[in-house]
Amino acid sequence: MSYSTFSQEQSDPLKEPMFFGHSVNVARYDQQKHSIFEKLIEKQISFFWRPEEVDVSRDRVDFNKMTDSEKHIFISNLKYQTLLDSVQGRSPNIALLPIVSIPELETWIETWSFYETIHSRSYTHILRNLFSDPSEVFEDIVINEQIKKRAADISRYYDDLIFYTQLWQTQGEGQHEVDGEVHNVTMRELKKKLFLCINSVNALEAIRFYVSFACTFAFAERELMEGNSKIIRLIARDENLHLVSTQHILNLWQYGEDDPEMKEIAEELRDDAYNIFMTAVEQEKEWAHYLFRDGSMIGLNEDMLCQYVEYIANLRMEAIGFDAPFENRRSNPLPWMNKYLVSDNVQVAPQEAEISSYLVGQIDSEVSAADLGDFDL
Amino acid sequence: MAKAFKVKLNGQHELTVDASQGSLLEALEQHQIDVHYHCRNGFCGACRTKLICGKVKYTSEPLAFIRKGDILPCCCIADSDIEIEH
Ligand code: FES
Ligand SMILES: [Fe+2]
Ligand SMILES: [Fe+2]
Repeated sequence: MSYSTFSQEQSDPLKEPMFFGHSVNVARYDQQKHSIFEKLIEKQISFFWRPEEVDVSRDRVDFNKMTDSEKHIFISNLKYQTLLDSVQGRSPNIALLPIVSIPELETWIETWSFYETIHSRSYTHILRNLFSDPSEVFEDIVINEQIKKRAADISRYYDDLIFYTQLWQTQGEGQHEVDGEVHNVTMRELKKKLFLCINSVNALEAIRFYVSFACTFAFAERELMEGNSKIIRLIARDENLHLVSTQHILNLWQYGEDDPEMKEIAEELRDDAYNIFMTAVEQEKEWAHYLFRDGSMIGLNEDMLCQYVEYIANLRMEAIGFDAPFENRRSNPLPWMNKYLVSDNVQVAPQEAEISSYLVGQIDSEVSAADLGDFDL
Repeated sequence: MAKAFKVKLNGQHELTVDASQGSLLEALEQHQIDVHYHCRNGFCGACRTKLICGKVKYTSEPLAFIRKGDILPCCCIADSDIEIEH
């Protein structure tokens, strides 16, 4: 079934499943099968921000005063986040757009990916301020063993779905041999790959950022790296929306409110979904271990971070219909995290690190007020 | 004054809340209850709570998926006496 950028076939988008139905032709949003995606688009667009608006110049002084182990923590987290957003800035588009079949979800995927590219650009903004040449940091991302290990797991499910979709679109269902390996391409198999992929993305958006968020905000608690923290708060707010979208997809399938075959697959692959999540949890704990290998930082250690991962994992697992895996981790071990994750605080209270666009706005309005005062109207 | 309702929490605490205390989440906080939340805006799902009985009313439309039997206290208020697990 080859892909067409504008299928001439008539179909009723209100009757299409989210994926693997007729490909979307008219981008219309006056009617929606799953209106939640249209609402997420609106919300996400209302969150628009530009990295350059956040003044990170004072962070350089803080950074230079850090101990070596603190620098290791800070830079490693940025590398890991750069990896995550590099993947997320392209993969939902490449893997999901060719198979999506309702317009509101298609546009949500594009909107979502676009915001990931803003995140990627903000890491460059942060690093450029800290180093006259940040190349070494970026180059290490494809060399560093700890990061590579995670990258392999994150991209695996996407790559698998993309490859099978390509086989299906060029050769249709059937047994296809590529480089000596036989692939059995059926619609069922494609849907299974899609299910696993969305679970892996869900785990990524749900917990993979939180170890580094915690470190960033622990620095901010000590009034360090506040420009960076401001940016990470904006990113965290976006990530929450992304997460909600993958939770919606998974729950719609599970409740049989979309493709009935996906409901069967959700039941059939429930253990795999669980394991994908728990593997991500384990990897995040290992990441915490790696971060603190040369020593911890004030206010945070490996143990606390691992407890936090478990706490967050409980919330996230319950959101998609699993029991909380860490029953003894019911209270939040890092309560100060919450104030950085409240969405209203992000723009309403620019606080320590001012957003320069606000300043520009202020200056402009002062000038125009003064100017007007001189006029006799 | 807004109408007051009883909230039974985790099978142990009995509290009285009314809409003047803000969202159900804010009302719980005013009773020094340790609450879970991130966005406080209905789109992250971190405040997810089990509604065992009673009714709540949403004051703004939540974007997070609400699974059967769950509520999001950051954007709703009690609309009857309720029993919840948070
Ligand atoms: S705190 Fe985010 S949905 Fe309630
Ligand atoms: Fe991102
Ligand atoms: Fe994301």
